[in-house]
Amino acid sequence: MGDSDFSYVPWIVFTPLLGFLFQALLGKFLIDRLGARGRWFCGFAAVLVVAFPFLLGVAAAFKLAGMAPAMRGTMVTVAPWIDLVGFRAPLEFYVDPLSITMVLVVTGVGSLIHLYATGYMAEDADYPRFFTYMNLFIVAMLILVLAGNLPLLFVGWEGVGLCSYLLIGFWYKDHANAKAANKAFIFNRVGDLGFVLGLFLLFCVLARSAGSVPDGRFLSFDLIRVQLVNAIGANPGYATAIALLLFVGACGKSAQFPLYSWLPDAMAGPTPVSALIHAATMVTAGVFMLNRMYPVFQASPVAGGVIAAIGAFTALFAALIAFGQMDIKKVLAFSTVSQLGFMFVACGAGAYDAGMFHVVTHAFFKALLFLGAGAVIHAMAHNQDLRNYGGLRKYLPITFLTVMAGFLAIAGFPYLAGFASKEEILGSAIGNGAVVVRISGFVALFTAFLTAVYMARLAGLTFFGAERWRELPEPHAHEDQALPALMEDEPDPNRFYYTAAELAEREAHAAHADHHELGPEHKPHEAPLSMSIPLIALAIPSLLAGFILGGERLQNWLYPAGVKPGLLGWDAPPWLPWVSGAAALLGIAYGLRTYMKGLPADQGWDMGKWNPLRRLSADQFHYDAELMAGMSVGGRTVGLALSKGFDPLFVDGTVNATGYTAGALGLMLRKLQSGYVRFYALTMLIGVLAIVGYLLYASKGGASL
Amino acid sequence: MNGVPMAAYLLLGLVLFTIGVVGVVIRRSPIVIFMCIELMLNAVNLTTLAFARYLPQFVAGRERGHTAVAGEMIVIFIMAVAAAEVAVGLGIIMAIFRLRDSTDIDQMNVLRG
Repeated sequence: MGDSDFSYVPWIVFTPLLGFLFQALLGKFLIDRLGARGRWFCGFAAVLVVAFPFLLGVAAAFKLAGMAPAMRGTMVTVAPWIDLVGFRAPLEFYVDPLSITMVLVVTGVGSLIHLYATGYMAEDADYPRFFTYMNLFIVAMLILVLAGNLPLLFVGWEGVGLCSYLLIGFWYKDHANAKAANKAFIFNRVGDLGFVLGLFLLFCVLARSAGSVPDGRFLSFDLIRVQLVNAIGANPGYATAIALLLFVGACGKSAQFPLYSWLPDAMAGPTPVSALIHAATMVTAGVFMLNRMYPVFQASPVAGGVIAAIGAFTALFAALIAFGQMDIKKVLAFSTVSQLGFMFVACGAGAYDAGMFHVVTHAFFKALLFLGAGAVIHAMAHNQDLRNYGGLRKYLPITFLTVMAGFLAIAGFPYLAGFASKEEILGSAIGNGAVVVRISGFVALFTAFLTAVYMARLAGLTFFGAERWRELPEPHAHEDQALPALMEDEPDPNRFYYTAAELAEREAHAAHADHHELGPEHKPHEAPLSMSIPLIALAIPSLLAGFILGGERLQNWLYPAGVKPGLLGWDAPPWLPWVSGAAALLGIAYGLRTYMKGLPADQGWDMGKWNPLRRLSADQFHYDAELMAGMSVGGRTVGLALSKGFDPLFVDGTVNATGYTAGALGLMLRKLQSGYVRFYALTMLIGVLAIVGYLLYASKGGASL
Repeated sequence: MNGVPMAAYLLLGLVLFTIGVVGVVIRRSPIVIFMCIELMLNAVNLTTLAFARYLPQFVAGRERGHTAVAGEMIVIFIMAVAAAEVAVGLGIIMAIFRLRDSTDIDQMNVLRG
């Protein structure tokens, strides 16, 4: 038991794994047997197995903090896994400041969201299935962040993708949700293709110099940095190729521009899922991976410029789209895409620690905002349209105060969490030497202003102004407005999905009292305690994380000077805090002034009266629709070409040609089967004579066998 | 041994074998073909015995003490197999004769391609 003994670290992963098995195998049984007490116990177990690793993580963090900066990296090997000659990738966990920081975020925010979910999902019939997936997600995410080598990281990477798919499609009977789940999965496959190619290229490059690694673990993170410097130093072109391929993977997982559009659709999942997976943890895996593999990205200024440019464009693009969204969760989804863009700007500028800083603060305030949105949705009979809200601060005081904290944090109110981390991002980008990165920094600065405005729009429309649902007609009078049609009305041949009629019937029969239609008589009510505790617990770090982690404290923790060499320095211009603070305050003031009064006339139910630009933004500038149409038409063209051209010509051709050849050969050979026994005997004789003759000839030394 | 050289036995074996081969190829009566096969088998027996008698140093497994009767044993096996083969073969020929009233080998060609 030395000072660097981290043998308990694998339990950080195993505990939620046990929880997953418990929920999967016993959850339904317990609830069937014990009813409400079984539900309570399932929820309790689900929260416990996430909270316990958090305590382990805290212990590991304190132990790391007590060590010398150069010693803060310990590999804990659990079992052999891939064991080949010259290449080994055991099941191993790497304990260093980066992984432990992510463990704390994942388990800390994760346990709060699990607690919230026990309230939010309390009446769902598939309660244990939900927590089965949630715990499995925590397992996969912890494998991803704690992985000691790249193959294991990839296991976690795919695992979180699977859980994301399962949870987006959690209410799978609704066709739209199943479609959204498929979309998320397929978009991630596109990114993963790049990621896997990057891994293969990295493997090839490193395998060449693998002789210097004693036990073949050349993809393990404790050895990879030196390896990379050796292998890439000679061929900087490899660094660019690997970095860009890995970044394609990060684009998929972290919803960056060409591959972003699965994330808004992922809001089809339950709100705790949106908060945990699609805001706080999984979507930041790309930024984490960039931090983990930073020597590759550092070696390639080209890749850095590309990453910063794509990040800045995504941030701006998503922020503009957020202005046209009326679904409260969609606004938050595009805000997440936009904030992820900020993180990539930082990584592109070489300030990986600033990216991680924003990952941490964003996890707090975005999870808070999503949970707050969940509380609002819960209070408003599962209606998500901002146009139906208004004046809710009277009815939901806790939600109002906490969401305001999150709103001020994300908007960049001076000295709150979002301000502190955005400050480092903007400083690193604007102070950077490369022109592309500097332009990205200014784009990000403008986006920070937009962020304040559209978040003020969300807060203003939700909590201030008139109580607009009072003006709604009586329930059931016009279902198409209160409940947008969710799917085409064709019955599913397998009876697997609900038709719209069945879905409406199911909604109507939903047993619990607050699940009625939104109408003028609706009385919003504050969420139960299990939902408001996480809100309060997340509001505190949203306000204070800037003070705790800022001022280069996180930087020294993740990238201590002299231990992780070569981080690009930057000179943040001295005017930056003033300008960005002013931009945030201006945005907040402008946004609140516009939207506190109520719904502006040009954003009402009649989209025809909307400003054309806002209509365009509501439609994601046609990007998603065009992409989907292009992909489906293109995919169909390729499929048709394959099925009409390649398949009959080459596949069928090969098969048929083999058959015809065999038949023709048989026609020739059947003549030999004359039926005359004496002919067969003669043939045998000739054969024997030929062989004997050859043997005699060979034994005379005429030929060698 | 007794003044007869090994080559004489081998020559006799060759003549018998050749007669057997030619008989199998040119005759149409299955009975005669059978007799020819027997001739070939006995030619093989004869050469095996000649080798066993004159060249005992080449018998396989001699170093493990198998020298004494290895060749002779093979001959006895061959005789047993030949007897069994004749029993089965004649049975088949009888069955075909009952079916077709003929034993012409060239008419037994229903398996031609």
